[in-house]
Amino acid sequence: MGILLFITVLLIAACGLIYELIAGTLASYLLGDSVLQFSTIIGCYLFAMGIGSAISRYIDRGLAYRFVWIELLLGVIGGFSSALLFLAFAYTQGFQLLMYALVVVIGVLVGLEIPLLMRIIRGRYHFRDVVAHVLTFDYLGALGASLLFPILLVPYLGLVRSAMLFGILNVAVALWSTFLFANQLARVQVLRGIGFVVLCALGAGLADAKRITIAAEDNIYADEIIFARDTRYQHIVLTRFKDDIRLFLNSHLQFSSRDEYRYHEALIHPGLSKVPVPRHVLVLGGGDGLAVREILKYPQVETITLVDLDPEMTRLFSTNPMLIALNQKSFSSPKVHIINADAFPWVDSNADSFDFIVVDFPDPTNYSLGKLYTTTFYKAVARHLSAQGLMVVQSTSPMFARDSYWCIAETIKNAGLHTYPYHVYVPSFGEWGFVIAGMRDYSPPTVLPSGLRFVDVQGLPALFQFPPDMAPMQVEPNRLNDQVLVRLYDKDWKDISH
Amino acid sequence: MSVSRRKFLQSTSAALVGLSLKSDRPISGSFVNESFQQGHLLRDHANFPAPKQKLKVPVVIVGGGIAGLSAAWRMHKKGFRDFVLLEMNDEAGGNSRWGENEISAYPWAAHYVPVPGPKAIYVRELFEEFGVLKNGKWEERYLCFAPQERLFLYGRWQEGIEPAIGLSQRDRDQFQKLEDQIHQFRATGKFTVPMDVGFSESTADLDRISFAEWLREQRMDSKILNWYMNYCCRDDYGATTDQTSAWAGIQYFASRDPEEKGPLTWPEGNGWIVRRLLERVGTFVRAGQMVHRISPNKNSVSVFAGDAEYHAEFVVFAAPTFLAPYLIEGMSPFHDFEYSPWLTANLTLDRIPETYGGDLTWDNVFMESPTLGYVDATHQSLRTHIDRTVWTFYWAFADGLASQNRQLLLNRDWNYWKEAILHDLERVHRDIRQCVSRIDIMRMGHAMARPKPGAIFSPERLKLRKPQGRILFANSDLTGFSIFEEAQYRGVTSAEAVMRRAQS
Repeated sequence: MGILLFITVLLIAACGLIYELIAGTLASYLLGDSVLQFSTIIGCYLFAMGIGSAISRYIDRGLAYRFVWIELLLGVIGGFSSALLFLAFAYTQGFQLLMYALVVVIGVLVGLEIPLLMRIIRGRYHFRDVVAHVLTFDYLGALGASLLFPILLVPYLGLVRSAMLFGILNVAVALWSTFLFANQLARVQVLRGIGFVVLCALGAGLADAKRITIAAEDNIYADEIIFARDTRYQHIVLTRFKDDIRLFLNSHLQFSSRDEYRYHEALIHPGLSKVPVPRHVLVLGGGDGLAVREILKYPQVETITLVDLDPEMTRLFSTNPMLIALNQKSFSSPKVHIINADAFPWVDSNADSFDFIVVDFPDPTNYSLGKLYTTTFYKAVARHLSAQGLMVVQSTSPMFARDSYWCIAETIKNAGLHTYPYHVYVPSFGEWGFVIAGMRDYSPPTVLPSGLRFVDVQGLPALFQFPPDMAPMQVEPNRLNDQVLVRLYDKDWKDISH
Repeated sequence: MSVSRRKFLQSTSAALVGLSLKSDRPISGSFVNESFQQGHLLRDHANFPAPKQKLKVPVVIVGGGIAGLSAAWRMHKKGFRDFVLLEMNDEAGGNSRWGENEISAYPWAAHYVPVPGPKAIYVRELFEEFGVLKNGKWEERYLCFAPQERLFLYGRWQEGIEPAIGLSQRDRDQFQKLEDQIHQFRATGKFTVPMDVGFSESTADLDRISFAEWLREQRMDSKILNWYMNYCCRDDYGATTDQTSAWAGIQYFASRDPEEKGPLTWPEGNGWIVRRLLERVGTFVRAGQMVHRISPNKNSVSVFAGDAEYHAEFVVFAAPTFLAPYLIEGMSPFHDFEYSPWLTANLTLDRIPETYGGDLTWDNVFMESPTLGYVDATHQSLRTHIDRTVWTFYWAFADGLASQNRQLLLNRDWNYWKEAILHDLERVHRDIRQCVSRIDIMRMGHAMARPKPGAIFSPERLKLRKPQGRILFANSDLTGFSIFEEAQYRGVTSAEAVMRRAQS
């Protein structure tokens, strides 16, 4: 009996903290400024708990009855809080008002829980044991919740369903209490009936949470954020809308799972299919494993060396079930060697030779990334090319950043390589450009791996044609001491947004 | 129980308060590379031990800065190996010394070389040997990466150090006028690096007035233009425009017309060049050997250093020239040599300030500051992600009397200068104290020659520049310009002269 009682405490503590965390996270996602959101929410919540504790002294009779009611109310309000907030953000102007109202109501109810519970069980133990045990389990519950929340709940359940799951726990505690304190309760059957109804409502909500989120997300510009992390190197965000997973690095879209096959097939196959015996492949960037997935379609390839700066990124794409479904567990292939290192120094100091090299970095939005698009960099990469080898470079959009695209092509040419620019249409990106480069002549391949969804032999030559609005520009190459590319890129995208 | 609980609560809340306030973190550091103590021994004519050993060496180079090392490089390259180089400090390098910590190598003083023009033949030769210049092209990784420079003014950063924002039409006109004038001076071919190539008596008039006076004569009174001129003189000469010869002011701008966007720079600054030179001639260098007396004999020169007497046919005196009267017997004191006191500091940052503002930049200058700002030692890194770095902070004491500034430098303790440096940086980076873990400071009483009016055409200098007698002077201060190219040129030409005469 004793231990069960204290597990109740643990559960209600966890529920209380989860609602608070959900409110804070939601507000941070939707409104930004996480420091402000978390501080004000924690502050309001703790203050409301104080009010709850103060009110508890005015409750004289029917302690157990009221405790069960509080649990039921918390289950309903807390359980639906996340869904309500999503919908409020999508459809009303009163998101913040509702959020703070919910935080205060939940806080008051949570503040009532522990004092009431301590008084209910007061007669059963010494007072000092009651205090010690209740508080111990209270804090243990908080620890459990705070660990579960970021590690399991947010990545796997999302905010809406997490809230409902913990609402169910609150109701379960209510139902459980009707047995635990049966001798102190009147109208037990009524309480159980209500509990059962609420439980069904939350269960239905949990099963159908998707529809609620979709209803809300249809009205929110961003899709549901299923993963967000600040690593040492970048801000990683994964969003999901229906079956579309999108990856953002420092708020730049990297891929959309709906059309990334177009991008990655176009990145890999036009070049790799033309390498006579591709045994060793190097991928610079590409921590999502999607380029590697395409490379693995060539059985002749013996090793794939992937150099990506961020270990969090490669780990995420090696372990997350949704993401390894997307890259078809490419990182688990024994052919793949992952090296987490800064690409330029690695390329500069390593001496290995490769038959195909994929250069797939984020766009040159600043001078640091711009270093990876310089003559010196391409010269250093070219040293790793085998005699028959080819490289391919992600080169931003020849449509939206026309000067930048041709600047990258000119830079590669300036590094002493033959260049073969081409472009494809990727719906989530628009027109996107690549450059194949090598020490030898190139023409599009006439044989491709089977099972490709986008690249085909007949269509390939057309990718190397540039219509007048994307035609070559006269631009200077990008060099370490004079990064014209970063300035061009900045100008290109400003021109579009104004 | 209750007492202990209260105490517990008090202590934990105190601890929480302590955690929540960002307290200033402790910053370690010290003065480093101090050498004035040794210099003062010479000045005060201290007693040095009598020599215990006598060595016969045809050529002795005194001083292991760029001039001395360049003389050694030249002799070594020409197959002349009968020489030693005596260096007072424990490490050679002089004004191009460098340091290194777990984050990066960093310079202690000279940190770049402007892309050399076609007339700097010896610098080009050296750089070809080092792979900096290949088939007429400058190696990109040694050229300063973009973005090179920025200036903090009116509460914001602008790219480049020449003020470009907030200019009135008048300011613009004067900048344009100056540019036109400089263009004409450059076209005469008389302002060159090294200066010997184009040096002409016909420009001597410009050495009679200060740069400030010349600007006034030209009716260039724009405040912002004058700020910039003053900054340039402080940066290159450690002097204000009032203390700088007009000839030197014009030389700063007219002598260079870079063929490539530069300058050349390395994490350890010109220490990179010293390293390459030491790879070649390091075995000829005797470090920690302070020369305390040089006695010219009839057909030789005796050089006393440590407990040895070197019996030499020729001496290349590459140490700062002002030391010569203290060392060389029979040499009368100089009048035309003046030097600027400097302070440099290397700050270890284990994170980049949140108030950094913009892309990581090599040279960072604040308009409203008496200092010269800071240079980022990790700027030449190929890495795209940099979260720790070393900043080299430069402060030339240009205003006021050099002697008083030297006293100030010596008398104040490390803590004083640490606070002064942080105070200066705080005007732009408010959170700098939370980012810095260490500040090492180097004080230099006589950091660089000051080309004051009359210094360039000073008869004293002109005489010392001629390779006469058995003691040849090679320090860059003979030109009035403490720059790499002049030091290298004087070192190389002295070596050439010595070899010609030693072999004849």
